[in-house]
Amino acid sequence: MTPVLYYYLWVAPHLVLGVVLFVMVRRGLHRQFPMFSLYATWEILQFVLLFTIHLSHVHFGEGYLRAYSVGLVLSTGIRFGVIHELFRHFFHRYPALSGPGRFLFRMVTVVLLLVAVGLAVASPSNGADFLLRTTYGFLDRTASILQCGLLIALFLFSRYFALPWRSIAFGIALGLGIFASVELATSAVWLHLGAFGNVFVNLLTMGTYHCSVLIWMFYLLAPEREPRYTLKTLPGHDLEIWNRELQRLLQQ
Amino acid sequence: MTITLILICVAFLALVLLVTLAKGHGSSPEVLENPTEHIRSVDVEAFRNLIDPEEEEFLRASLPAPEFRRIQRERLRAAVDYVSVAAQNATVLLRIGEAARQSPHPATAEAAEVLVENAIRLRLYAFQAVARLYLAMILPGARVSVVRVAERYEQMTRQVVMLGLQYPTRGVSAAL
Repeated sequence: MTPVLYYYLWVAPHLVLGVVLFVMVRRGLHRQFPMFSLYATWEILQFVLLFTIHLSHVHFGEGYLRAYSVGLVLSTGIRFGVIHELFRHFFHRYPALSGPGRFLFRMVTVVLLLVAVGLAVASPSNGADFLLRTTYGFLDRTASILQCGLLIALFLFSRYFALPWRSIAFGIALGLGIFASVELATSAVWLHLGAFGNVFVNLLTMGTYHCSVLIWMFYLLAPEREPRYTLKTLPGHDLEIWNRELQRLLQQ
Repeated sequence: MTITLILICVAFLALVLLVTLAKGHGSSPEVLENPTEHIRSVDVEAFRNLIDPEEEEFLRASLPAPEFRRIQRERLRAAVDYVSVAAQNATVLLRIGEAARQSPHPATAEAAEVLVENAIRLRLYAFQAVARLYLAMILPGARVSVVRVAERYEQMTRQVVMLGLQYPTRGVSAAL
């Protein structure tokens, strides 16, 4: 059962991601979300490369691990680009918020970076090799803390100001946030175990990634929720109230 | 082991928080259907009086120190309530403005744009003002400058009326 599930969770999300990318390009959304499109493209390319290596005599050996680590570094970098893109996309509609938005992004980044570096320095490594320690002990965990915190900050900010999200941007943020939070836990477990390739942790990470891709797919296909408030449908007798209000305001 | 457990707990809490925050996304269409039910009346003059430095000086001079501190804290608590209600109203108005932004009528869309901007500014100022008011509650002698909130609220209210004059809504401004 496990190998079937494993291969399903490895292949299926990338096929769905391919569909997501195709739909985005067809709708021209890749111009509005270039970093996310780049991320999806990179993830698919990385999958093709890793799957090919896995099918070769290397299997899950040293070569695979190296390719995976390099891919993870690039994926993580691009994910930061996606988060920055979400911030820009969210704030460009509201000039009053662009200043506070930039401030929030920088402040949260600095604070979380300090926390993550502090944790990386404080945490002992349990016999993990250098590549694993560097990739998971510092990079992946630091990135997960930053990404998770930034996305929570963005959600809190939008919630406080009651600002609407575009469906696709919301989906990207939610999927990425869920993946980052689970990856934070799994990277900590991986580092603690000091071994690469724990079956349960692998399945959990892959399953979460699959869920995230499905979330992106769902919000990409979901129709944009336009506000249903139409001023013309309002009753005429409100004019009296408005006149009275105008008088009250003119007297102030 | 401890750091691993802490990180797992933090990750779980982050996940719960994300899902909780995401659940409320874009909801409350009832606000657009019945805005008046969600807007509470705010007396700007009463608020101005509560944060008036002259009024504060008068109370300080007229009352014994412990009594002044007690009354001043009550006044500041009331001021926080006023700001909170004004900020909640701004949220409702922001949603109305967001919806009105889609209007095919340029004048309405333009008025809605300004309304949204001012509602956002009010929420920004309210956030800072509440923090300052709480600080002033801890240190009753400190100066509090939240007059800009009152000014912004008035400005925003005027814009709602302008929007309503073009296309009458269900008595939104009457509630302000």
